[in-house]
Amino acid sequence: MKILDIAFKDMLRSFRSMFALVFMFGIPLLMTGMFYIMFGNIASGGEFSLPKTHVIIANLDEGGPKFQTSAKNIPGGKQARTMGELVVNVLQSKEMADLIQVSLAPSAESARASVDGQASQVAIVIPADFSKKFADSNKQAIIEFYQDPTLTIGPSIIRSILNRFMDGMAGVKIAINVFMDESPESDYYLTGDVVQQYLDISLVQTEDLAGTLLDERAPTAAPPSSQTSGSQTSENMLLRIVGPIMGGMMIFYAFFTGTSTAQSILKEEEERTLPRLFTTPTPQAVILTGKFVAVFLTVLVQVVVLIIAARLIFSIQWGAPVPVAMAAAGTVFIASSFGIFVNSLLKSAKQGGAVFGGVLTMTGMLGMISIFAINSPTAARLGNTVSLLVPQGWAIRGLLQAMNGAPVGDVGLTVLVMLVLSAAFFVIGVWRFSKRYV
Amino acid sequence: MNSVQTMNTNQLAIQVSNLHKSFGEIKAVQGVSFDVEPGEIFGLLGPNGAGKTTTISMLATLLRPDEGDASIMGHSLRHDPMAVKSVLGVVPQEIALYEDLSARENLTFWGKMYGLRGSGLRQRVNEVLELIGLSDRANGRVSTFSGGMKRRVNIGVALLHKPQVIYMDEPTAGIDPQSRRNILDSVVTLKDQGMTVLYTTHYMEEAQELCNHIAIMDHGQIIACGTHEELVQLVGEQTRIDLTLNVEASRVLGTWQAVEGVSRVSTENGQVTVLVKDSNLVLPRLFEAATHLSVRITSVDIREPNLEAVFLHLTGRALRD
Repeated sequence: MKILDIAFKDMLRSFRSMFALVFMFGIPLLMTGMFYIMFGNIASGGEFSLPKTHVIIANLDEGGPKFQTSAKNIPGGKQARTMGELVVNVLQSKEMADLIQVSLAPSAESARASVDGQASQVAIVIPADFSKKFADSNKQAIIEFYQDPTLTIGPSIIRSILNRFMDGMAGVKIAINVFMDESPESDYYLTGDVVQQYLDISLVQTEDLAGTLLDERAPTAAPPSSQTSGSQTSENMLLRIVGPIMGGMMIFYAFFTGTSTAQSILKEEEERTLPRLFTTPTPQAVILTGKFVAVFLTVLVQVVVLIIAARLIFSIQWGAPVPVAMAAAGTVFIASSFGIFVNSLLKSAKQGGAVFGGVLTMTGMLGMISIFAINSPTAARLGNTVSLLVPQGWAIRGLLQAMNGAPVGDVGLTVLVMLVLSAAFFVIGVWRFSKRYV
Repeated sequence: MNSVQTMNTNQLAIQVSNLHKSFGEIKAVQGVSFDVEPGEIFGLLGPNGAGKTTTISMLATLLRPDEGDASIMGHSLRHDPMAVKSVLGVVPQEIALYEDLSARENLTFWGKMYGLRGSGLRQRVNEVLELIGLSDRANGRVSTFSGGMKRRVNIGVALLHKPQVIYMDEPTAGIDPQSRRNILDSVVTLKDQGMTVLYTTHYMEEAQELCNHIAIMDHGQIIACGTHEELVQLVGEQTRIDLTLNVEASRVLGTWQAVEGVSRVSTENGQVTVLVKDSNLVLPRLFEAATHLSVRITSVDIREPNLEAVFLHLTGRALRD
């Protein structure tokens, strides 16, 4: 009980401090807001270009039932003999050329190896039975999407294009099924015409085919006010950029909060309240535990509030609840234990200034390299490696994985590393504080 | 092995036996021993650096003695520090409060640290606020309080759990005369309520006014211990009366020297200094003799034998050196 009394007292003091509140909540949201406005302006009228995403496609599709569609309605104007070729043609079309650089791989393994070797950022594997499954009303046609987990924007664009394409094709499939269910067998020979008509309609609903397919590509489109779809596209683009920045800011300042809250141990020693606590019938281990719990709870409140606030203010999509919760929990643990560890190395709170200005800023910036380098594949690769040298880098990796829809297992692995690091920081910190006080 | 070990205290509130504490080469406390009766105010008097705070820190379980032990209300400092803490209230020399919390929030938190809960805690916090005269400022943040008000809250914290023994480490250091007066009065009130007070100070006037027994410390040792009267008698100091006259001092010297009870009469810069054993008896005689000589006494300054003189006598140094 006394542990919580001490923890709540510390939290009350923290949340009463205007300086702490500004650092915990104000600055991360303000910084994100600045990026939001800056990129919002670019998206709504300024010049903005993304680097090309290297896509490698292994088209193994062996074909299926034949149907014809007008070449003019296929990006690139090429005839496609299989559904796989149709996908390749769309991605190789000149409308996509300023965003995607496509190369072909002979096999799924070589395509994945290209991503593993960081020669490409996305591998698309179209299976041999893709067209057949597409034509079979009882089967599901699946394209394998294999991406560099450290990248965000480029792979997101490709995924969005494919999703839009597959949605359209799913409509074709439904049209065929409906026609065959409703028509007598004598009319089955007309199926090709139905498909033809559906494809023509679905692909030519808008004259700006690239605009239709390129969910992410709005900056060069008309002003948002004149086109609803353009506005939505701009916003999606904006969130893809601002989301990781908000995550980075949250982690950067969570580490500041962890360290500054843990600094209350040293401050209480200097304010003489810690020795006074030691004169009460409260074991010293309980007192220190209460202080540590305060650090964890304060960072937890900060992270939860920022996640909710960013969702409400900037509509940031953090990803599925479970991976986000895992990444957030990992962040809370590592930021708190790192704070305890750093403070255990200090002799006085006065040294905290140098720590805040130096260690946390340096490690925080290193950790955030991977976010600010996402537009440059080479820099992103380097940044991703360097950022993992500091605890902030692992927290950012976990959060980005969650935001990019990585499987729970992948996020869990990153969180596991964070927990191991947290345990190490915590044990060393507690050991040093215990040596000093207990 | 959880049995509580106690010392044979013979009803003493505090019994200190041969405490030693060194910090590296510096011997801060060297063999300090003293006894404190229940319900008395016991003063530790000495200049800065004498070892008072180190002694009180050991008695408050903040520092572990290198040697020796103490018993507080029968609980051994070494063997049952938690029991010692539960009967003890400590008023530290420096204000130890959370300035960003209100007086009530501070008292409530510290009350919880002493194990108080619920309605009992709320009631006790209100009582202490009343006791320290801050009920009307209970919800004000301590950071907005004057030095004297902070001192009162600082004392209030130590009273929350109604301790049997209270340590006050220079509680009047650096505050205005009015607040100082309030604190001295509150110490007497605590004594009247039956608390045992261990009071450290380097102001001999405070020790003289408050304490039933006084231990004078210097260089980590107790150099004298007893009641104020015993200490003064220890060095045989006499009361000094300084008088100024409306005539030359030489006119009264011979007559006053012959007055019964006068030990010595001297003059310097026109002022007459008379050393006596009992000023109450001798002073009327001096006035009577002066009247016979048609001499008018224009001012009188009586200086009782004091602890300053005792310390000077014992150490060769002034108390505030």
